[in-house]
Amino acid sequence: MSEVIVITSGKGGVGKSTTTANLGVGLAMRGKKVVLIDTDTGLRNLDLLLGLENRIMYDLVDVIEGRVEIKKALVRHKKYENLQLLPTSQVKDKSAVNPADLMALCDELRKEYDYVLIDCPAGIEQGFQTAIAGADTAIVVTMPEVSAVRDADKIIGELGRSEKDNIKLIINRIRPAMVDSGEMMDMDDINDILAIKCIGQVPDDIKVVTSANRGEPVVGDSDSQAGRAYANIVGRIMGEDIPFMKFEKQGFFDKLKKAFGM
Amino acid sequence: MNRDLVTIKGGNDGFRILVDSSATMEEIEAEIKKKLETNPGFFPKGTKFELEVADLDRSVKKGIDELLQEHGFGINKSTKKDKRAFPADNAASSKNVQPEANPVQEMMVLNRTIRGGEEISSQSSILICGNVNPGAQVIAGGSIDIRGTCRGMVHAGAWGDANAVIIADRLMPTQIRIANMIARSPDTMEKSDFAERAFIRDGQIVIEPIER
Repeated sequence: MSEVIVITSGKGGVGKSTTTANLGVGLAMRGKKVVLIDTDTGLRNLDLLLGLENRIMYDLVDVIEGRVEIKKALVRHKKYENLQLLPTSQVKDKSAVNPADLMALCDELRKEYDYVLIDCPAGIEQGFQTAIAGADTAIVVTMPEVSAVRDADKIIGELGRSEKDNIKLIINRIRPAMVDSGEMMDMDDINDILAIKCIGQVPDDIKVVTSANRGEPVVGDSDSQAGRAYANIVGRIMGEDIPFMKFEKQGFFDKLKKAFGM
Repeated sequence: MNRDLVTIKGGNDGFRILVDSSATMEEIEAEIKKKLETNPGFFPKGTKFELEVADLDRSVKKGIDELLQEHGFGINKSTKKDKRAFPADNAASSKNVQPEANPVQEMMVLNRTIRGGEEISSQSSILICGNVNPGAQVIAGGSIDIRGTCRGMVHAGAWGDANAVIIADRLMPTQIRIANMIARSPDTMEKSDFAERAFIRDGQIVIEPIER
C-alpha cells in the first residue's frame, strides 16, 4: 500500500522543499522505503537540502527521455539506505517533463516504495500541473501570512479542479510570540479560510536554516521544535493520531542557551 | 448621481435630516446653514430634528448637533440603519416591493467553499453554503445569500436589479456591489458576530444586522 504525495504551496519560499526533505528523512527514519522526486526543473535544490549534490549522475529529464533507467538516476541518501532522491535537471526547463510522463514514473516507483514524495515548483503553471498529475494526496504548505494563505487557497481550488480531493495542510514558519501578540494570523483564522485538514504546525526555527546549510534535515533533531513538529507530521502521515504540540514561547532559545550554559 | 449632501424631509413625526456620509463637516455645515437660513421661520423654534445617517463620525454628529442648537433647534435622536423609525418610508418601500413578487424564482445553490480565483456567475440568485474566500468573485443577477463567511467580492443585481440584497453570516467582503453601486470595505476590517444584510437605500449601499 504505497502513497504518492505531492508537496505544493503556490507561493515560493514557504518551505516546500524543506518540508519534502524533512518528511522524506522522517519517513525513512521510521523504516519506510521512500523516494523523493524534485520536479522543480531548472531550479533544483532538494539535493542541496539533503546534501547529495555531488552524487548526482543522471536526472529526471534523462529518465523521462529514456536515456537511463530509473534505478540508475536515483541517488541514495548517505545515512538512510531506504531513502532515494530523483533529482531534476538544472539546465533544462519545465517543458522537458509532461504530466503523462510523471504519472507513468510514479506508477513505476509506486511498486517498490512505500512513499513517493514529489516536490512541486512554485506557481500554478505547467510545472505545477505536471507535479500533481500522479499524486494520490496533496500536502499544501503555507505560512501565517496573508499572501501565502491567499495562494494556498488558490492552489486548493486548482487541486480540486484536477480532481485531487485528498488535500492536507501544513502551516510552516509560525512565530508563536507574534501569534500571541496578534501580529500574525493565528491557526484558527487559517483553518477557517482554507477549510482543509491540518496535519502540521511547524514553528519558525533557526535550526531549519543551519541544518539545511549542512544538508541534514532538522527532523532528526529532538532539541529543535521544528524537528519535533516534522516528526509529528511524519507520524500523522503514517496514520497515527498525534495532538498538536504547544509551542514554547519567545524565551525558548534563551532557555536552550541556558541549558547549555552559554 | 447628483444628490444634495443634506436633505431635510418632513415626516409624520417631525423633520428628518439626511446626511450623505461622504460629505465633509464643512460641507454639511454650510449646507445646513443655507437650508435653515433660506427659510427663516419655516421651522418653529424648538423643532427637534431626527438625524439619519449611514455612518457618520461622532465628531460630525456632534457638530451638527451644535449647529442646530445655535439656531434654537435640537436633535431628537440619531437613527442609524433603523427602518422602523420611519413608517412613511416603510409604506413606500413595501409598495415598491409588491409588484416584484415573482412566482417563479430561480436560485443557484453551491454547497462548498468558493476559493480565491474562482468566479461564480449566475443570472439568478445564488445561495452558498460555505465560505467565500478572498480573491473569489460571486456575481448574481438576483440576490446573494452566504451561509458562512464572505471575504471575497460579491455583486448582487449585476444586471441592474437595485432591489437585490446580499446576506452573509459574517459579511466582511473586499467589495460589495449592488446593481451599479460599489462599496468597499473599511481598511481595518472588524469581525462581525451577527449576520448582516447589504442593500441599497437612498442611493447608497447600507449594511444592517439581521437575525436568522
